Amino acid sequence: MRVILYFIIAIGLIGVGVFESASMSADDFKRRANNEAVVNERSIRSILALGSVGSLIALKIISDGRQTVMLKGNERFLAPGEVLIKSDVD
Amino acid sequence: MRISILPARSVSEVSTLALMFFLAGVTFGATGLGAMLLMTLLSGSHLGKDASAKHGISNTESSRLGGLAVSIVVIIYIVGLSAISPYTPGIVRGDHYLYLWSAIFCCCALGFAEDIKPDFLTPKLRLGAKFVLFGALFWVCPIFIPLTVGSYAIDFLLNTPILGWALVTVFAVGFVNALNMADGANGLVPGIAVASFGVFFMEYGRPMDGALLFAFSIFFIFNVISGWYFLGDAGSYGLGAALLGYGLLGVVDGHFSAGFMAALYCYPCLDFLVSVIRRWRAGRSPFSADNGHLHNRLHRFLKPRVKSPVMANSLTGVIISGSTSGAVLVIYLLALLPTQSDLWFGLFAIEVALYLVTLKYLTSVQPKTQYSDPV
Repeated sequence: MRVILYFIIAIGLIGVGVFESASMSADDFKRRANNEAVVNERSIRSILALGSVGSLIALKIISDGRQTVMLKGNERFLAPGEVLIKSDVD
Repeated sequence: MRISILPARSVSEVSTLALMFFLAGVTFGATGLGAMLLMTLLSGSHLGKDASAKHGISNTESSRLGGLAVSIVVIIYIVGLSAISPYTPGIVRGDHYLYLWSAIFCCCALGFAEDIKPDFLTPKLRLGAKFVLFGALFWVCPIFIPLTVGSYAIDFLLNTPILGWALVTVFAVGFVNALNMADGANGLVPGIAVASFGVFFMEYGRPMDGALLFAFSIFFIFNVISGWYFLGDAGSYGLGAALLGYGLLGVVDGHFSAGFMAALYCYPCLDFLVSVIRRWRAGRSPFSADNGHLHNRLHRFLKPRVKSPVMANSLTGVIISGSTSGAVLVIYLLALLPTQSDLWFGLFAIEVALYLVTLKYLTSVQPKTQYSDPV
């Protein structure tokens, strides 16, 4: 029984990072819609959720999502309204 | 599936766990702690347990479920990100990514059967299955076949339709087996994986590369510090297929030269080739196991000089992966050479020379290679 609890905690902790990455990405969509620049500063929340290396990785995914990656056709992002739930954006 | 519960561990194991969790927390925060906890729980599973001294140079009881642990972490991340963010995974965007990841999944399943029940499939059956798998992948998606690698003779063969397909299929099967063969020291194959996905992520910035870099970084920390895990056949087959697919696409796209990939993946390829030649010269089957690999000999050299057996094992793996793939990552990060340059073949030549000189020296001062099968 205790093992199941540990597994749930493990998946929940990974989920924290997933939610943080997703919210950073969703936030960038809002900024891009308003023609605002990419936020290159890491917040305390993102460092706690993703760590010193993980938060850098998340930032690079976002900045590359706007520049290199989209230009080279390696990744394609859907329009915000097609996927995002309102609570994730706000 | 019976699993040892965390508090049942000894004091030394708890201090090892504390160090691993600290490093995971500093580098990857709450997510890193979650991934480390998941790996710790799976490493305690009695399923896929490897007996002491059975795997590579390990002399402690370890788990072969490393590949499963990495897969679970990557799947949670990618599925979660796809569900709640604007990210569209590669398998949805392009057919070739779908076919590649199907091949990776099949390779993992093939290896997983072996991890759970050793000798469940005969070596010939596994080899045949890999030929069919990669043959089908390159037949359906010829986009993976590079047309120029910088050598006139090889380029000519690659440009000949059936011959090019056959050549890349043989190379792919050999590469996946090579990576499996190299998974014998802590931090060796995970080190190659971290360096490779680090390069791919820096170059492309794809979320999938980021997820793989994250999962393999946590696994690397776990593997090097504790030695309780190996990638196992599922992990090494799956990783081999993923590195192969991304490497081939990188060369086809023109983002990387063949020399860059040769330098990045030098150790598994070279060690595989040298092992096959050594066994052939000794009149043995190329599939028979032996202890003549460079990592076996380097470990034998380090063991009396390092107090902890786990650290001797980990030092062996980290020295080899660091001086090959790690060196490529450092040169890439310092931007000393463009990734498309053929000068990477020069670094590859240095790695080959270093491998042969070290192996020659260690072979001359150590006992002869022992083979598991009779002549």
